[in-house]
Amino acid sequence: MATKGWTRREFLRGVAVAGAGLALSACAPKVTPKPAKDKIVVGMSRPLSGPQAIVGDSAFRPVYETFVKEVNDAGGVYVEEYGKKLPIELIVYDDKTDVGTMTRLTEKLIVEDKVDFLWPACGTSFIFAQAPIANKYGYVLITAEGGATTIKDMLPSLPYVFVTLSFSDWYQLPVLAELLSKKGAKTAYIAYIADLHGIEYSGVAGIEFPKVGIEILGVKSIPPDMKDLSPIIRDAKAANPDVFCCFAYPDQIMPATALSIELDFNPKAWVGGPGVNFGFYYTAFGPATEGVIGFTSYSPKQSDAARALAEKLYAGKPIDVQDYWGHPLYWAGLEIWKQAIEKAGTLDQKKIRDIIATERFQTVLGDTWFENGLLSKDCHTGEIGQWINGVYEVVGPEKWATAEFVYPKPPWPKG
Amino acid sequence: MTIKIIEVLITGLLMGGLYALVAVGLSLQYGVARILNISHGEFIMLGGLTTWALYTALGVNPLLSLAICGPVAFILGFVIHRTLFKRLLASSASPAIFESNSMLAAFGLMFILQNIALLIWGPEIRGYSYLVIPVHFLGTLFGANRLLTFGLALVIGLGFYLFLSLTRTGKAIRAAAQDPPTAGLMGVNINNVLALCFGLGAAMAGIAGVLISMCYPVHGVMGLEYTIIAIIVVVLGGLGSIPGSFIGGFILGLIGSVVTFFEPGLALVAYYVIFILLLLVRPTGILGR
Repeated sequence: MATKGWTRREFLRGVAVAGAGLALSACAPKVTPKPAKDKIVVGMSRPLSGPQAIVGDSAFRPVYETFVKEVNDAGGVYVEEYGKKLPIELIVYDDKTDVGTMTRLTEKLIVEDKVDFLWPACGTSFIFAQAPIANKYGYVLITAEGGATTIKDMLPSLPYVFVTLSFSDWYQLPVLAELLSKKGAKTAYIAYIADLHGIEYSGVAGIEFPKVGIEILGVKSIPPDMKDLSPIIRDAKAANPDVFCCFAYPDQIMPATALSIELDFNPKAWVGGPGVNFGFYYTAFGPATEGVIGFTSYSPKQSDAARALAEKLYAGKPIDVQDYWGHPLYWAGLEIWKQAIEKAGTLDQKKIRDIIATERFQTVLGDTWFENGLLSKDCHTGEIGQWINGVYEVVGPEKWATAEFVYPKPPWPKG
Repeated sequence: MTIKIIEVLITGLLMGGLYALVAVGLSLQYGVARILNISHGEFIMLGGLTTWALYTALGVNPLLSLAICGPVAFILGFVIHRTLFKRLLASSASPAIFESNSMLAAFGLMFILQNIALLIWGPEIRGYSYLVIPVHFLGTLFGANRLLTFGLALVIGLGFYLFLSLTRTGKAIRAAAQDPPTAGLMGVNINNVLALCFGLGAAMAGIAGVLISMCYPVHGVMGLEYTIIAIIVVVLGGLGSIPGSFIGGFILGLIGSVVTFFEPGLALVAYYVIFILLLLVRPTGILGR
């Protein structure tokens, strides 16, 4: 019994036939119709737990939740190529405030879940790590929480990335420096969180403050795991500065405020953020917040659109959920996202990206557009905020101010 | 200059008092009951968040919360040991296998407790102001809340030490720490003592959580940081030595404060350097045998 295998000739013939078949099938015109689509799937990696959870929960989350509900209640986003409105479906993963986990989840969303759109992660170092991934896969990424002092020089090579939030030199600290110097501040002390956010802000303050004649008496970094901030507050107090800046997160801003009260450290200006701009800061410290300075981008007093947004996001909820720095900018970002899809009439990322990069949109901020990947600073309606009589007012720049800048701030209440 | 030195030393002692309390709890669980309780910090977190919730919702004085959180944590710990770890102990072939099995179980416990807390309180950072009043002390200023927590940590630590050295139960615990099988042969109900140790460890963590919440913000995933510090302190003080853990806590607090004075970023590095040096020079710890 001859169990003869394939001869070489037979094998080659087989391969040739199979190869030709494959080639032919590849050349055949694609007849698959556009698969019916009944929703737009949006994926996100968010800090649902971990130290940044408080920022994520207070900043972008209420905005996207309200936005998605509003859009879906109206039927969804109209996409011309499907001839109908498609509702938004969210996939949200918890990155536990870990950059490494966030990058893996972002790739999973794109490669495995094949989401239609990516919405942003939370935090300066997070968007720094996420932007190149989104860009690599050609996914439009309109960022939310996070500054971009470092990434902005890279934006020309990241055409799919758009930054909404205002940040250090875009152009909060120049405005702050000007406000302070006008009131006669001469010296400052800076404490900053030892991560990209802190490094960016302390670095820019180190440039902007001396420009207006404010001398920097001391700079201390705060490691994220530091429990007891009292050595830093004591050091700051010993330096006796006019201005104290704490460029860190609520995890540090809250104890730094409590320690300043405890140790009777009363600088003429107390600046902190992100943290001071959230409603929960007022809930925690009440009247002691009087005169404390933070970052902002709007006040509901400024326009009907602003008031309507505040109404939409905050009505009937505790003051804790308010955020006057990020909310309007993130909302505008989502409005631009929706309008760009409707203008493009397709879910094609490239076409949507081109529209976002070049066109103007009507949002809660009014006429809104991106300039080299950054939300134009001409769209901002405020940079510096201050707690005055229990209200977080815009105090700078002056053309947007809703209240007079208070300097020096009153001392902490006793007892 | 002297004021500076006093400030640095006292700041270290204030922090050290809390570390000591946290570590004494873990020492009971790891040193005596041989459970490397990774979820130790979660009991701290539960104590802290419960105190916050009671204070903000009902206006319960945090000092009163001590009397609530301590016993509740004790019962929780006791029951967990009786149900979970006793079974593991019986089914593990050797002490080494029990140590690894119980650590894995403790990991699971950590995730369960953490997620329960996240479900109840969410991930937000919670804080309240209690006795945030400057107090003049040795020529410098300290928060009244910090001095109070230090005093309480000291009193609780010393009280516990007296309990261990003067009472019959304390003697049984010490015997179980030295040699569990022999202690069992001498008539110590070893299962009871181990559950008691685990429960007391949880109570210490709960109490530490109450004290921590008076000075620092608390949140659902704060536990692990404290667990790591506690592990360092327990090894520093010597496995199974309660006074060693207490002293170790103060040493770590002081080192942290001194290093922070020069460069805050190096505090955690300093802890680990101490840890490595100790393992090289005196692997049994300060008071270990």
